[in-house]
Amino acid sequence: MRPTGMVVRLAERRAEGLLRALGKRAYFARDIVRGVRDPGTWIPETIRQMRTIGVESVPLTIIVAAFLGGVTAFQTRYQLFPGVQLSVVGLITRQSIVLELGPLLTALVLTGRVGARMTAEIGTMRVTEQIDALETLAFDPVAYLALPRFLAGIVMLPVLVVLANTAAIISAWGILVTSTDVRTSDFLDGLRLAFTAFQVVYSLIKAFLFGAAIAFVCSYEGYVTEAGAEGVGRSTALAVVIASVCILVLDALVAAVLAPFIQA
Amino acid sequence: MTTKRRDELLVGLLLLVAVVLGIGGTIWIARGGLASGYPMFTRFKWGAGLKQGQPVLLAGVQVGYVAKVDLIPDGTIAVTLKLQSQYKVPAGTTATVQANGIFGDQLIALTPIIGRQGYMSAGDTIPTGVASPGVPELLGKGDSIALNLRALTDEARTQFVAGGGVKDVRQTVADLTRLVAQLSAVTAEQSKQLTLTQQTVRRTLASVDSAKVDSAVKNLQATSAQIEQLTRDFKQTNAQVQGVLDKVNNGTGTAAKMLNDPAVYARLDTLLLRVDSLVMDLKKNPKKYINLRIF
Repeated sequence: MRPTGMVVRLAERRAEGLLRALGKRAYFARDIVRGVRDPGTWIPETIRQMRTIGVESVPLTIIVAAFLGGVTAFQTRYQLFPGVQLSVVGLITRQSIVLELGPLLTALVLTGRVGARMTAEIGTMRVTEQIDALETLAFDPVAYLALPRFLAGIVMLPVLVVLANTAAIISAWGILVTSTDVRTSDFLDGLRLAFTAFQVVYSLIKAFLFGAAIAFVCSYEGYVTEAGAEGVGRSTALAVVIASVCILVLDALVAAVLAPFIQA
Repeated sequence: MTTKRRDELLVGLLLLVAVVLGIGGTIWIARGGLASGYPMFTRFKWGAGLKQGQPVLLAGVQVGYVAKVDLIPDGTIAVTLKLQSQYKVPAGTTATVQANGIFGDQLIALTPIIGRQGYMSAGDTIPTGVASPGVPELLGKGDSIALNLRALTDEARTQFVAGGGVKDVRQTVADLTRLVAQLSAVTAEQSKQLTLTQQTVRRTLASVDSAKVDSAVKNLQATSAQIEQLTRDFKQTNAQVQGVLDKVNNGTGTAAKMLNDPAVYARLDTLLLRVDSLVMDLKKNPKKYINLRIF
């Protein structure tokens, strides 16, 4: 076979694999949507997942956000040119946290904490044939396993992002007032400058999409786990990587689409 | 409490906290606090650089913020101000856009008139005042100053470099240096002479006999007393002479009459004529008058 033919065959195989992967995920998404028809299956589990994803992640989220806000504000203050009014620190800190760092870092942290756990749980159920047992018992495994996690993800990520933004701004204020020459009035002036409610909505839109991405990717990778414990580990690592990349891509897309509407 | 109920409670609590924080925080930031304020309005020309959230200052004190900026097709922007309830805007106050810092941010300054009575009402439109020069105007002034400085620099270069001014200045400086050196030498010499003179004076003062000085001083005092007595006598004599002269001038007394009476003069003149004629007659005829006999 000529080299050109081999390259073409390889490209065809890759393209076919990519399309099949997309198709499988589309079917999985369809099964999630179909699972909504059976509320008795997913509502109790959704509450449990909301606690796992949301309530149990609050301490980690607040700690990460507090450090994030403090460091952002501190760095912003000391990167200002002489002569710039100090209220700019509040403005930059707010915009950085609310529009970008709050949703993004919260999602990335939760990918490691919640997403990996999702994949490992579902993957273990897959390799121990518990999912097959559910099917045997006429349970819809997607409605029972994936849909509650997906719903919990899209609900709790925005909740956690609100907490994260609040904690980060409070932390930024505390650090600035205690460690720099920025006064509370300067910080509040900047915090209020050019603020619109849509900036919060923008942050929540990102959180919603990130929550959906984490839950969907991690559930799917767990659901299709193969080859025993090693497969669970591989699926978990792959899920974290894919979810993280998805979060970054979604972040860029949302910024490209919505950033013109939040220009200060 | 079952696990299910506890999960529901915790999730519900978290959702409630998030909703309160999200909505409350947004309102707090957007409205400048949870306290209710009141709106006021003003208008500026296009390009004022205003945006929501910029501070509003009344006589330098922040009393609110820009709540809304609406573009009006007639070339103006309608600005809604949200002012805190505890502040009232005095009547006659004007609004201007001023630079906040040097990097293009703006604020609205409300300038009241001192002594004006009454306050504006909520919802009133604050008239626009005369704005202070902004950054572009200041930059324009800076450009103008820079051009003038450049012209001065060029002229100075022409005069000092091309015209040989620097050489002259150097020569002058050298001359001045020499002059200063000469003056220093003269000063040193004068200082030396002064020192010698001072030493001589000190020696002279040291050699003066204090007894002689006392004697001389006493003599001077006695002489002074005598001069004083002499002066008194002279004054007395002068007064007496003055009195005589006064009498003479007044025409009282014999001397005054001799001096002042013309009749006395005429008699004396006649007397002298007669004496002259008698003397002549005596010379001519001595025997008439002198009859000398011896024995």
